[in-house]
Amino acid sequence: MSVKYVPVQWNPNKYLYDAVMLTGVGLFLYVFLYAAPGLLSHERPINQQIHNARAFGACAFVMLTVILCIGPLARLDTRFLPLLYNRRHFGVMTVFVALTHAGYVVDWYFAFSRWNKFEAVLFANTSYGQLAGFPFEAFGIFALFTLILLAVTSHDFWLKFLGPPLWKALHYMIYPAYLSLVAHVSLGILLDQQNHVFTAIFAGCAGTVGGLHLLAALKERRIDRTRSGGKGGWVHVCDVSEMRDGFAKVKLLASGERVAVYLNDGALSAISNACAHQNGPLGEGRIIDCLVTCPWHGFQYDVTNGRSPAPFTEKVPTYNLRLDGTSVLVHARPNAPGTYVEPVPLPGTAPETEAMA
Amino acid sequence: MSDPRKHGFFVGYLPIPPALRGFLLVICVLLISGLAGFGLALGTAQDDPGQGAFRFDYGRQTVTGVVELTPYPLLRVTIGNERIPEGHTLMLAGGGKTNVENRAIPLEGQLAQVSGVMLQRGDLDMLQLRGGADGISAAEGVAPPMGTVPLGRWQLAGEICDGKCLSGAMRPGRGLAHKACANLCLLGGVPPVFVSTQPVDGSEFLLITGPEGDHLPETAYDYVAQYVSLEGEVERRGDLLVLRMDPNTLRVLD
Amino acid sequence: MSQAEAILMGLRVWGGIGAVVAAAFLTIGIDRIDADARGAYVFRPLLIPAVLVIWPLVLWRWYLYETGRVHWHGRYDPPRRSHYLVGWLLPIGICALIVTGLLQRQSWPADVAPVQLSIPTEAVE
Repeated sequence: MSVKYVPVQWNPNKYLYDAVMLTGVGLFLYVFLYAAPGLLSHERPINQQIHNARAFGACAFVMLTVILCIGPLARLDTRFLPLLYNRRHFGVMTVFVALTHAGYVVDWYFAFSRWNKFEAVLFANTSYGQLAGFPFEAFGIFALFTLILLAVTSHDFWLKFLGPPLWKALHYMIYPAYLSLVAHVSLGILLDQQNHVFTAIFAGCAGTVGGLHLLAALKERRIDRTRSGGKGGWVHVCDVSEMRDGFAKVKLLASGERVAVYLNDGALSAISNACAHQNGPLGEGRIIDCLVTCPWHGFQYDVTNGRSPAPFTEKVPTYNLRLDGTSVLVHARPNAPGTYVEPVPLPGTAPETEAMA
Repeated sequence: MSDPRKHGFFVGYLPIPPALRGFLLVICVLLISGLAGFGLALGTAQDDPGQGAFRFDYGRQTVTGVVELTPYPLLRVTIGNERIPEGHTLMLAGGGKTNVENRAIPLEGQLAQVSGVMLQRGDLDMLQLRGGADGISAAEGVAPPMGTVPLGRWQLAGEICDGKCLSGAMRPGRGLAHKACANLCLLGGVPPVFVSTQPVDGSEFLLITGPEGDHLPETAYDYVAQYVSLEGEVERRGDLLVLRMDPNTLRVLD
Repeated sequence: MSQAEAILMGLRVWGGIGAVVAAAFLTIGIDRIDADARGAYVFRPLLIPAVLVIWPLVLWRWYLYETGRVHWHGRYDPPRRSHYLVGWLLPIGICALIVTGLLQRQSWPADVAPVQLSIPTEAVE
C-alpha cells in the first residue's frame, strides 16, 4: 500500500499465519532430525551432515509443495483465500530452509578436496549426456537460485517498482523452479532409494500440485467461457437481474483485459478487475463500507473512480457503462486510472433519481 | 447492504470472519500435524547406509610393509598388529578427498612405516594416513619380494565406487545420489573400488585401475555409481585383488 | 581458468556491479522515482539482495521512470492466460520427470556372476 514503506507490515493475522507456519516447519525438522534417528534400526547411523541435509531438503520440498497448492485451492474454493494472504512469508522461509540444505550438501559432499567447494559442485560430475548419473545438483541449483530471486523481490516495493505484470511474470518462475526441484529429486535420491514410502510421498506431493493446478485451470477456463465474448465498442456483460448488491460480474474483453462491474447501492460502476497491488481479481471481492475490497490482500478502491481512499494513492482504470433495456453494457476502452465515472442507476431506482433531479 | 463479512469474506487486516474460523482452525491443525507427520514419515523412510565407518575406536594404527603403486598406493604389510595382520594389503588414502601418491612414490618398492586411522566395511578396509612423514616414512630393513598373481581376464558386474566413502568415510557412501562426491574423491586420487555382484576368487571388492595400470580413465567417470558390466585383467596382490579395467567394455546394465 | 572458476567469477562480478547499483539506487534513485520511499529508510537494506540479483532490471526500470516511459496500461494486464498453460504443463512435466526417474532405476544385478574370459597370460613372480 502507499504511505511510507516499512520492512514488514505486520498485523495480527500475519503473526498468526507465521506462528502456524513456523510451528509446522519447526515440528517437521525436529521430528526428522531428532525423533526419526531413534526409530531407524540401522546398524550404524547415517552421517549427521547427510541426515541434516536430507531433513532440510525434504522440508523445503514439502514447504514448496504446500505453497504451490494454496493458489489453485483458493481458485477452487474461496475459503482457502486466507492462506494466500501471507504466502510470501512462507516462501521466504522456504528459501532459508533450502539454503540450509544446500549448505550442508556443499560443506559435506563437496568439501575436503583440494579444490574450492563451490567450484567442485560445478565440475565434480559432468555426465550431462545421460539420465542416470546426470548431475542432478544442477536442477537443485536452478531451483534454489530461482527461489532466492523470488524471495529477494518479494517486498511490495518491487511489486510497485517493476509493475504487477512484470513482477508476476518473474514470480511465474516458481513453476519451472518446482519442476526443476522434482527433477532434482527424480534424478537424485529417487534413483537410489529402496524404501518406497519416500517414493509414494514424493510422487503424491508433486502429483497433488500438478493435479490441483490442472483442476483450477479447467475451472477458470469454464468460467472464462461464460465471461468472454463481444468485440470492440459496447460489450454485453449480463442482465441487470443477475447483479447482486455489493458484488461484481466479471467480463473478459477481447483485449484480454477483465472488467469488474459492481452494483453498489442500486447503481452500477465498472473498474478494472486487476488490483493495482498484485493484480488480484477485484471482481471476486466485495464492497465493504462503500469500497471495493480485493480478496487477496484487502486493497480498497472507490468503485466510482478506482482510487484508494486517502492516505493511499493506488488507482485502477475505470470503464464506461450504459444500460440497453435490462442489458448491462460496458465500453471496452478503459479510462485512465482514477477517472471518475458517474454510476449508472438501475431501472427500478432511476425514476426516483430523476424525480429528485 | 448485508455485511459481506458475514459471508466469510476474509480481509487480511481485519479480524477473521466467524464463518471462516472453524474451517481455518481445521486447516491450521492439518498443516501442523501434516508437516510433523511428513517429517516422521520421510525421516524414517531412509535406507540403511551400510556398516562402513572410520574406526576411531581402534585408535591409531601403525604398521610396516612394502609400498606398491598401482598407481594407487598400497602397503603390503610385513609387520602387522592386532587389527592389520601381516600379509594384508592396505589401500592408502590421504585426509579428506586427497591421496598420498606424492609421499608414496619415492618409497615405491621399499619398506615403509605407515600410520593413520582405519576405515572398514566388512572385508574392505583402507588406511587414512596422518599428514607428512608421520603418515608414511621409510622403515629400516630390506624389502622382501612381493608376488603378484595374475588371474586372467574377467567379465564382472557391479558398481564403481570411491573406495574411501564406500569403506566408511560417508554413510551412505555409494549410489547415484552420492555420485558427484564419489567423482570428486576419484579426481582427488582416492583409490577406486569395484564392488562385484559376486566374489571373484573370494573377494567382492577389487581395487580398480586404468587399463595400463594407470589412474581411472576419464570415460569411467560417467559410469561411476551405476550398475555396470566391464572386462579387465585381474591380479592378486596379497589379499587384495586389482582390476585393470578395459574402458571399451564398460556397459550399463538394464 | 576452468569453466567452474569462470562461472563463479561471473557471479562475483555480477554481484559486484549489483553492489554499486544498489548503492546508487538506494541512496539517490529510489527517492527520485517513488514518493512512498522518501523518508523511509529502515526497509532499504531489505532491498539490497534484490538489487544484487536483478540490477539490470533495476537500471532499466529506473531509466523508464526517469524518462516518464512507464505506461499505466501495462500495470493492469496480469499474465492470467498462462494459468491455463501452467495448468497443463505442470502436471505433464511432473509426471514425465517422475516416470523418467523411476525408469532409470536399476536393481542390483546380484544374479550376474563373474566370468573368467581367459587364463593368465603372464606370471610376474
